Amino acid sequence: MGDRVQIQPAHLGKASIQVKADSNRDVLKVLLETDKSAGISAITGVDLGDKIGLLYHIRTNGAIVTVSTEVPKEAPKIPTITDLIPGAHFHEREVADLFGVTFEGHPNPARLVLPEDWPDNLYPLRKDAKLEKVSVKTETSKDQPEAVQPQSDGRLVNIIIGPQHPALLEPEKFSLQVDGEIVRNVEPRIGYVHRGVEKASEQRTYLQDVYLVERICGICNSCHSTCFVETVEKIMGIEVPPRGQYLRTIILELNRLHSHLLLLGHAGLEIGYETLFQYMWRDREPVMDLTEMLTGNRVIASSITIGGVRRDLKETDIPKIKTQLATLKKKMDFYQQLFENEPSLRMRTRNVGTLSKDDAVKLCVVGPVARASGVSMDVRKDEPYEAYGEIPFKLITRTEGDSWARLMVRLDEVTESINIIDYALDHMPQGPFRIKVPRVVTAGEAVSRVEAPRGELFYYVKSNGTAYPERVKARTPTFANIPAFLKTAIGGNIADVPPNFVSLDPCFSCTDR
Amino acid sequence: MSKLATWARLKSPWVLHFNSGACNGCDIEVVALLTPRYDVERFGIKLEPSPRHADVLLTTGVVTKQCAERLKRIYEQMPEPKFVVAIGACACSGGVFAGNYTVTGGVDKVIPVNAYIPGCPPKPEAIIDGVVKLLNSLKEAKPNGKK
Repeated sequence: MGDRVQIQPAHLGKASIQVKADSNRDVLKVLLETDKSAGISAITGVDLGDKIGLLYHIRTNGAIVTVSTEVPKEAPKIPTITDLIPGAHFHEREVADLFGVTFEGHPNPARLVLPEDWPDNLYPLRKDAKLEKVSVKTETSKDQPEAVQPQSDGRLVNIIIGPQHPALLEPEKFSLQVDGEIVRNVEPRIGYVHRGVEKASEQRTYLQDVYLVERICGICNSCHSTCFVETVEKIMGIEVPPRGQYLRTIILELNRLHSHLLLLGHAGLEIGYETLFQYMWRDREPVMDLTEMLTGNRVIASSITIGGVRRDLKETDIPKIKTQLATLKKKMDFYQQLFENEPSLRMRTRNVGTLSKDDAVKLCVVGPVARASGVSMDVRKDEPYEAYGEIPFKLITRTEGDSWARLMVRLDEVTESINIIDYALDHMPQGPFRIKVPRVVTAGEAVSRVEAPRGELFYYVKSNGTAYPERVKARTPTFANIPAFLKTAIGGNIADVPPNFVSLDPCFSCTDR
Repeated sequence: MSKLATWARLKSPWVLHFNSGACNGCDIEVVALLTPRYDVERFGIKLEPSPRHADVLLTTGVVTKQCAERLKRIYEQMPEPKFVVAIGACACSGGVFAGNYTVTGGVDKVIPVNAYIPGCPPKPEAIIDGVVKLLNSLKEAKPNGKK
């Protein structure tokens, strides 16, 4: 393609390619066709003054390749790539919402995260956006009727789940069009939890941002802070001391443990098996105690900081952690039996919401959802961060692709996490656990990925050489996994919606940011 | 007769949980309350899915602009007397998200609040303490709207 394409030294993943807007689509097509398992991790918009930069982060062969292009701010237009890779659907809508870029040929260019009556031509992530006096009156979208209304032919009935619904812990809305018992269409309306974190992080210092991004999601908080600080450390060229890396690994795995146990319990609640919920949450409490012992807080750990961790591990705590986890491991054998043999649990989850491997690749799903469909993908293996490169562990995959498999993957990962923590405690290096870093970050940009409990978490940070970041982008696992729900719910039974939905482990505070 | 009603309410307050834009941190602690270690059902507290049956509204998280109307509507659907507990720093004042472009602020910007439980997130013990304090104050307190 000659002068239209420039390959630059790798700073945004494995390689970064600069292209003109008109050949962007061709380059992406080549990339996506070379590797059949390639998918899109994120599309980042960046305000470059009179232009808007668009960064397509493609996940290919387990690494990230970034294709960047620029469109004029006056009339930002670029052809859609949803026909090349359907997983780009939500990514494009998000950039359209927040930056005002038109993706020509997009199948459904509706609002995604902003309220329905948000003023036109006001794009919050542009640097010149005046956001002080925006008033939003209604929360409901104009085109979706509130009540249950039959369609014109009298067959399809709208059932609206949310924003306040017992099955949802978070306020989001899903309109299901039902024909008898069969779901014919699902319209998601997210954005109820959109708090504008990406914009807010530009107005805070890097250190303040660690606490802000941690509060994107209270469940996988340590993953967010780790991913953010890793990106910043990459820009600054800092190496975290080995002890710091091991401590981070332990905190991340404790995070995964509590998140997986939480979800397995929640799944019990959704399928009408409340005893399982109570049991799981009872067994989750020791993990919360360990997190509190190690970091000082039960939920939001606030322990990871730029250059290492904030607290050291006491030698006397190691036996306590080991005994607690050994007890939990024994209990997991019981749950393993239960999930494999309990007929009511199997009936509610087996062959429910089956996602084929092809669809999983096409929709670019991540984490346990992808692994349950046979896609072997785990950032801890593909691009080891922290101490994961030195720790042996099994990558859990299954081939069934149904709700049951998604729960089983998590169940097995709990045992693996316990093994990882055990190994890390046994091989804990001595030495400092953090290093001092300057407040001002050198100019540059970087991307980083972390395997959060729900899957690949992606961060992009651009620094302009001050104490405040120029742009922070977070692509969370649930954002990538929603298409899987839309795909698998359609054609299924309406009673299967809750188990199917919960098996994706949706987290909307992550999704909306 | 009102004495009897107060007694009944004190012994079994039904609570509704609404997340108006939280990070899930407070939410999982609210759910943890129902599970064996904390078990608030021993105070007769029962989580109720419908606003029309609830006495106490437990709100978590900052109120986003998109959620504000809904929060008001849920509050209006609850029967009198009704009480609101704001759980966590964000629900109390907006927390780290105060001042963001899609955020209204704390819960008290939208509906009246009876009890504030600060913390990020508050420990389950703190939430129990807050709810029990609210229950104790019910003996004398007048419900919302009749202050």
